[in-house]
Amino acid sequence: MHLTNSLELFPEFAVTQLLFKDVKNCSELRKMAMEGNITCALINPSMVLDPLQTLLAANKAVHVQKIGKMKTRSLYSEIIFSLSPTNNISEAFKRFGISENDDACLVVLVHNTDEAYNKDDVVSKVDGQQIPTDQLSRLSDLAKIKKLYKVTSQEEKCGSVLDAVICRMAAKDVV
Amino acid sequence: MAAVDGVGARALPYLREAELIKQGAEARVYRIRFLGKSAIVKERFPKRYRHHVLDEKLTRRRTTQEVRSILRCRKAGIAAPVVYFVDLSTNCIFLEEISDSVTVREHIAAAHAVESLRDLAEKIGKVLARMHDEDVIHGDLTTSNMLLKTERSGELTLLLIDFGLSFVSALPEDKGVDLYVLEKAFLSTHPNTETLFQKVLQSYTAASKRAPAVIKKLEEVRLRGRKRTMVG
Repeated sequence: MHLTNSLELFPEFAVTQLLFKDVKNCSELRKMAMEGNITCALINPSMVLDPLQTLLAANKAVHVQKIGKMKTRSLYSEIIFSLSPTNNISEAFKRFGISENDDACLVVLVHNTDEAYNKDDVVSKVDGQQIPTDQLSRLSDLAKIKKLYKVTSQEEKCGSVLDAVICRMAAKDVV
Repeated sequence: MAAVDGVGARALPYLREAELIKQGAEARVYRIRFLGKSAIVKERFPKRYRHHVLDEKLTRRRTTQEVRSILRCRKAGIAAPVVYFVDLSTNCIFLEEISDSVTVREHIAAAHAVESLRDLAEKIGKVLARMHDEDVIHGDLTTSNMLLKTERSGELTLLLIDFGLSFVSALPEDKGVDLYVLEKAFLSTHPNTETLFQKVLQSYTAASKRAPAVIKKLEEVRLRGRKRTMVG
């Protein structure tokens, strides 16, 4: 169901992703996340093409936390911020965080490699049905993603939309 | 001298175990596993023979410039490796590993007859014309910095790599020098390929409206060398 990846650059950490559909309490979850009562990143799955996209965002978030260069308040908000192609923080939360009317949710957790993450804690808080993370692409809104990341048809000639998205996330700090 | 400085201890823990595949004057290139993918890390190490403030500035600029140019090329449909992650604190770039590929250098060296390389020459000319139309100057065009990847369809894609010395310029002068550098590298690595390189230039000219001015500059540069001023 869930997907756990180790971070080669930070072997002490692992990232676990869980995907839920038919979520009924998104507004409540959002509130909890904002108040810091739920320690995970709650992401709008329509903006994610592939678990690799969020995994890269998590990797980058851990990296900037380690070097003390976070632009937002917590590791989890940094994951959401890293997904965004722009440096506008509130815009990033609006686009990539869950909003009140959403009915699906991608949960991203960063935990110690040797400790099992507190899965039950999250699962019990989400009022929805967990589905395998490899179904993520079925929930993604390709047109919206292309528009937000400004992916042109020309660029699709030399790679996938996912490639284009990944490049923009990685290059955000240098352009 | 540069190589000696570069041999210093591998500072980054995740590169300690990594397979070193190339060591240059400017950077070390490793092959690693990164988030479940095979990736290439290009690490620009500090050079102790330079003043450290200057060194940091130059290294940082080349790292960011490389990423910018790759993105600019990809946006224009020119194949270049996907950038996975950039670590500006250590000047490391994590790139997609291009599997099933050979360098153009290897490809030309393995070819039996120059005639069989006409399609390749045409492709190189076209890609460079498109790159120059985007005002990207590669800065280090050689046949080793071009990869040929065999797609699943059997088609060959030409990829540009190593944008470390690249910059953005619309000047025909800079584009002419870019081609001149390639011409020098091409003819010295691959003897008796003058007609093949002519083919590259023909294809370049056919593919870009702005080519005549560049070719004119190239002819000028041939007469005087790539440095414009004779100072120093």
